[in-house]
Amino acid sequence: MDTVVGEILVAFVFGSIVGLLVQRSRFCNTAALRDAMLFKTFRNTKALLMAMMILTMGFTTFITIGEGNPMKFDVGLNQIVGLFLFGIGMVLAGACTVSTWVKTGEGNVGALWALLFTFIGMFLFSLLWSINYWPPTGASMTGDPNFEALQLGYSNAGTLQDKYGVPAVVFGMLQTLVLFAIYRAIVRREKRQKIDNVAASQ
Amino acid sequence: MDFFKKSLDPVIALSAIAVLDVFMFLLLGAWTVGGGETMMTGIIAQFFMGDDLNRIPFWSLVFTPDAGYWKIYISLGMLFGAFVGAILSKEFFIRFPRRLSEWVLITIGGLLMGIGIRMAFVCNVSTFFGLTPEMNLGGYLSMSGIIAGAWVGSMIYKKILEG
Repeated sequence: MDTVVGEILVAFVFGSIVGLLVQRSRFCNTAALRDAMLFKTFRNTKALLMAMMILTMGFTTFITIGEGNPMKFDVGLNQIVGLFLFGIGMVLAGACTVSTWVKTGEGNVGALWALLFTFIGMFLFSLLWSINYWPPTGASMTGDPNFEALQLGYSNAGTLQDKYGVPAVVFGMLQTLVLFAIYRAIVRREKRQKIDNVAASQ
Repeated sequence: MDFFKKSLDPVIALSAIAVLDVFMFLLLGAWTVGGGETMMTGIIAQFFMGDDLNRIPFWSLVFTPDAGYWKIYISLGMLFGAFVGAILSKEFFIRFPRRLSEWVLITIGGLLMGIGIRMAFVCNVSTFFGLTPEMNLGGYLSMSGIIAGAWVGSMIYKKILEG
């Protein structure tokens, strides 16, 4: 089978299952952060943490044996600033990149509008981009920290394994434990809230 | 079928997505949305601008418009899957934001998301479902950014709700 057609099919099938599951569960990444901060409800936050635990174990296990396709590019200050703007935007729009597609599929014209302006925002930013100045450029991405360009190089579980000789999955387990501790704290908080609510209603 | 009557526990839904995402990581790469959206932007811009698009370096050096880019089809798949789910559960109906203020907020929010994704090279999906589980340093930087941004956004949202 033609590689491009195969890739397209795999991506489309994966996307379709994701779209269906997100639609049926009303999962929303925006709500996972916003509701935890504003309303102290954690329905979506728990789902996000659970997915991250499974993914951390899955990815780092395969990274340990040199399998999989990790993302490869240098990171730096632009991730903090870019996602800061994104974070404000997603709360104002009431949708993230996933829910704009899913809600558009449900007939929500506001989500389609958000999607349209995400495209316009991307196009506007492309006008500012240049090969030789920050924000992130090919010229400043050397793989190593480059403080002048506010870049910190490339590192992940795989580079940690190469550097320290400790299997990537060990680092993965540590991260999973941290995520689990947060998850458990949320579940305990919810139990306390439930008891309080019952007490208040009696 | 029960699946289309009751809403699904998001923990179960996201666990299933995570397992599939591990397979995606092995086959092509982790789940991501921003890259496909950028490519769509390029294709749409090329449709309107033709060869003039090549004068903008970004579209010749970073994202050369290519309809065969697999990430586009994750987004189209999500649209399709959600549409099927909404139809089968009788939840599909056309709805519009009612107030002008909602239109304004969505417009500003959409623009900020687009600009943010391109500045960071990642979106929220690659942050939580790609970079951070790969333990990429960029994942932690992005998470601190998105949490701070969501907090500021929530404060603005709260002001508007109360105002």
